[in-house]
Amino acid sequence: MANYFNTLPLREQLNQLGVAEFMDISEFADGVSALKGKKIVIVGCGAQGLNQGLNLRDSGLDVSYALRKEAIEQKRDSWKNATDNHFTVGTYEELIPTADLVSNLTPDKQHSSVIDAVMPLMKEGATLSYSHGFNIVEEGKEIRKDITVIMVAPKCPGSEVRAEYLRGFGVPTLIAVHPENDPQGKGLAEAKAYCVGTGGHKAGVLRSSFVAEVKSDLMGEQTILCGLLQTGSILSFDKMIEKGIDPGYASKLVQYGVEVITEALKQGGITAMMDRLSNIAKIKAFEVSEELKDIMRPLFQKHQDDIMSGEFSRTMMEDWANGDKQLLGWRAATGETAFEKTPAGDVKIGEQEYFDHAVFMVSYIKAGVELAFETMVEAGIKPESAYYESLHETPLIANTIARKKLFEMNRVISDTAEYGCYLFDHACKPLLADFMKTVDTDIIGRNFNEGKDLAVDNQTLIAVNEAIRTHPVEKVGAVLRKAMTAMKAIKTV
Amino acid sequence: MTDPVVHIAQLNLQYAGEVVLDQLDWQVFRGECWLIGGKSGSGKSALAKVVAGLEKGTGTVEINFIRHSSLPPRVLYVSNWYEFTNLEGDRNFYYQQRYNKHQKNDTLTVYAELAAYAQAEGLSFGDLEKYLDLFEFIDLKGTQLIELSSGEHKKLQLIKALWLQPQLLIVDEPYTGLDKASRKKLNGFFDDLAAVGVQLVLVTNEQDLPACINRFAEIDKGNIKQVDSVQALSVDASRNRKPLPLFLQEAPVSPAEVMVHMENIHVRYGDKVVLKGIDWTVRAGEKWLLQGHNGSGKSTLLSLITGDHPQAYANNIALFGQPRGSGESIWDIKERIGIISPELHWYFDKTARVWQAIASGFYDSIGLFRQVSYEKQQKINQLLDFFELTEVKDRLITTLPLGKQRLVLLARTIIKNPALLILDEPCQGLDHTQTAFFNAVVDELCGFGKTLIYVGHYETQLPNCLEKKMVLEKGEAKVIEEMNEVVC
Ligand SMILES: NC(=O)c1ccc[n+]([C@@H]2O[C@H](COP(=O)([O-])OP(=O)(O)OC[C@H]3O[C@@H](n4cnc5c(N)ncnc54)[C@H](OP(=O)(O)O)[C@@H]3O)[C@@H](O)[C@H]2O)c1
Repeated sequence: MANYFNTLPLREQLNQLGVAEFMDISEFADGVSALKGKKIVIVGCGAQGLNQGLNLRDSGLDVSYALRKEAIEQKRDSWKNATDNHFTVGTYEELIPTADLVSNLTPDKQHSSVIDAVMPLMKEGATLSYSHGFNIVEEGKEIRKDITVIMVAPKCPGSEVRAEYLRGFGVPTLIAVHPENDPQGKGLAEAKAYCVGTGGHKAGVLRSSFVAEVKSDLMGEQTILCGLLQTGSILSFDKMIEKGIDPGYASKLVQYGVEVITEALKQGGITAMMDRLSNIAKIKAFEVSEELKDIMRPLFQKHQDDIMSGEFSRTMMEDWANGDKQLLGWRAATGETAFEKTPAGDVKIGEQEYFDHAVFMVSYIKAGVELAFETMVEAGIKPESAYYESLHETPLIANTIARKKLFEMNRVISDTAEYGCYLFDHACKPLLADFMKTVDTDIIGRNFNEGKDLAVDNQTLIAVNEAIRTHPVEKVGAVLRKAMTAMKAIKTV
Repeated sequence: MTDPVVHIAQLNLQYAGEVVLDQLDWQVFRGECWLIGGKSGSGKSALAKVVAGLEKGTGTVEINFIRHSSLPPRVLYVSNWYEFTNLEGDRNFYYQQRYNKHQKNDTLTVYAELAAYAQAEGLSFGDLEKYLDLFEFIDLKGTQLIELSSGEHKKLQLIKALWLQPQLLIVDEPYTGLDKASRKKLNGFFDDLAAVGVQLVLVTNEQDLPACINRFAEIDKGNIKQVDSVQALSVDASRNRKPLPLFLQEAPVSPAEVMVHMENIHVRYGDKVVLKGIDWTVRAGEKWLLQGHNGSGKSTLLSLITGDHPQAYANNIALFGQPRGSGESIWDIKERIGIISPELHWYFDKTARVWQAIASGFYDSIGLFRQVSYEKQQKINQLLDFFELTEVKDRLITTLPLGKQRLVLLARTIIKNPALLILDEPCQGLDHTQTAFFNAVVDELCGFGKTLIYVGHYETQLPNCLEKKMVLEKGEAKVIEEMNEVVC
């Protein structure tokens, strides 16, 4: 199998990469009717599989689960998830031939083998749906020509997909139709219906393409953002320890700080996050982040280049073939970091303190989110896609760190994201080594404002505010956030 | 005379700029057990929280523990609401999550929770059994916290408090969610605690109190005022009745002759049988009372009707003439039902403001995600006026007294004039006057052709319109009888 993207002529590459159209809710007026009365069979009943299935059924659709034989025989969690919620469960042989739509919600790593097993059983003219396009784009899996291939990718963890649906809302979702597989022209209608069934249409839907989704998802969630938060957490913690800050305090400031800081990001973008700082701290954070952006830009560009060329997925798939040797080694090493091993202290940290005592963290998150966005847009990804894969994802990932630090984050995110995370982290830390020597506790660990005159120069402040507010990620963010203002805060603190 | 156990002087407390406690002085001496009652919103819970150190005012607050006592020198506050976290320390539970089965162990089991508590507090399990037994918790040991009903959560909190026997125990609305039998037992335990030296402060307006209560007080204009007896407490003024808004005087369109039809319903969680062979038909216009002990399966039964329970797909249920799982969405079902339950209240959006919350009732969503048309806005305003909520329409619901919060939820649920009204213990935590008002509104609403299912413990305080009754006992429908006389 060849990388699908690389087989395309440049014009077509740019064409597919540039698909990003924010859809109006009126485009979903047909509701679920395109799938009404049809048989939906979901393969896999994990985080996405179970929750998407519960929503689809509650939207009046006919849902059952096809699981691999071992899972049924051994009554694994996936089997229990499905049967305890009273779904019909069967083997591939029993259920796939009856399906009008097969939704592949197994781990990305398994997609090739799952499709090999499932595709021959699918009936003529059926539809195959994904929630992430890696298999199609990076592995270049070719699907039988009579089958329609669509994607409905919720941009949130499975539990949120369910929780938001039950509130009468949904999570932002990307939908796409694979241009190589739309023989009857029904792909878009079915993708929209599926999306309505999961509640996604209420929170903002982006019409995307398999290529755009994969290239932006790989760059954003799967490599940069997790890596960014891991590196930022470790650097911040180590610096505080080096400078004699109480380890319990340092551990807590970082673990929960990422969540508190990015909650502001989620609600009002970089602007809101920066506005939580005093004027002098904001100016400082702005300067630090500009410096960080200069240092890190080449690394972001390298990641994006490797993702575009397929180099990233090639090396990762090599590691898959090698029994995840690299991944497992890196995972173990992360478990050994001082940050990971120091429990959060039993100290009270006020909400505002998470900002005032962590100006470095704020600067670093600003730098990372803006760079990720800029790099993606430079590579031809549309700002809307780039927004979902940079700013939007950051708080969702930060929430997992607040729960149980890096280990938890790496457990929850996909193997791909975990692999990318370590790759980024290992390259980023040495890159920032010199810079970190200049960092002191005024910007991480202690209150930046303490003992300072809070006065600022008008012109400087105006210029800084202007730069923050007019960054392109803020412009597109303002529009997209409006569609999802109703989303609830996920909070641990 | 010994030092007072609680010594409060010149205590001031404000919530969002409003004075709640104003130069309050209060002393609790050894041997005293207090009842604090009086009007809703007067600051009872606020005072309790200050004593427990959960709320900070200005002024003197001293707690003097007895040094050589076998009881732990602690102030324990049992709140009005329950709270628990999952294994990851996360509080993000969502409404009706407990009905969605996940293999991940999201929360501790009751047993694990109690074991952790025993370890943290140095308690012995030998002393626990009797409380578990009396609260009928023995069978729930293996149950996950998220699977408990609201009444069970309250009981778990009480079990822990009784077990710990702190020197000062403050219980806010101790009887909320408890049925008659449980309340009586609880009072017995309170007396036992008092006998070994635990000092009690109960915050409630209930009249059936433990014998040990020997001081009565209420909060009046921010200060504490002692009274002679529970009868002497001030009560909320009964409200001026206004005519129901016109749009609610129209009978809702009845979607079908039979609203709910259930045949041989079975629900079990693992080994625990929750519902056993229930048959039930609710016809348009009927007014049902549903009764049963805590944990008898009432909430589960109702969740099958409201589209919240996945087991509805595995049972023989028809709603509004259509069998479940025949292509209807849960939103088609919810559109026709107005519901209030302790759980809905508990999980309700903490950031919701009164007006938006009522508006969200048009869409059955928790949170308002749409523009509201002019006509709908008018209806909201009429209801605000009817419930005398106009003044607080922009406030966060959570900052209102419990009784008002419940009225907001009632307004939210009737705003769309639903055909079927399901009120699951709608008066839980409300006092006499509030309950009477609430029920009178229900009676009036139901005069205009609604179908009603009402869940309530309080045999004495029910709407008058109820005409049929179903009693659940350990998952079985024990009695179905005509309520041949008006209960009031
Ligand atoms: N998690 C997210 O936040 C998220 C968000 C958007 C999109 N997605 C996408 O959604 C898809 C599913 O991800 P997920 O996080 O839901 O995965 P998951 O929780 O790991 O669940 C995977 C399911 O697939 C089954 N499975 C595993 N290996 C299999 C194999 N070889 N053959 C057949 N079944 C197998 C598992 O059951 P058994 O092992 O019991 O068979 C399990 O039920 C992926 O494409 C992912 O990229 C995920």
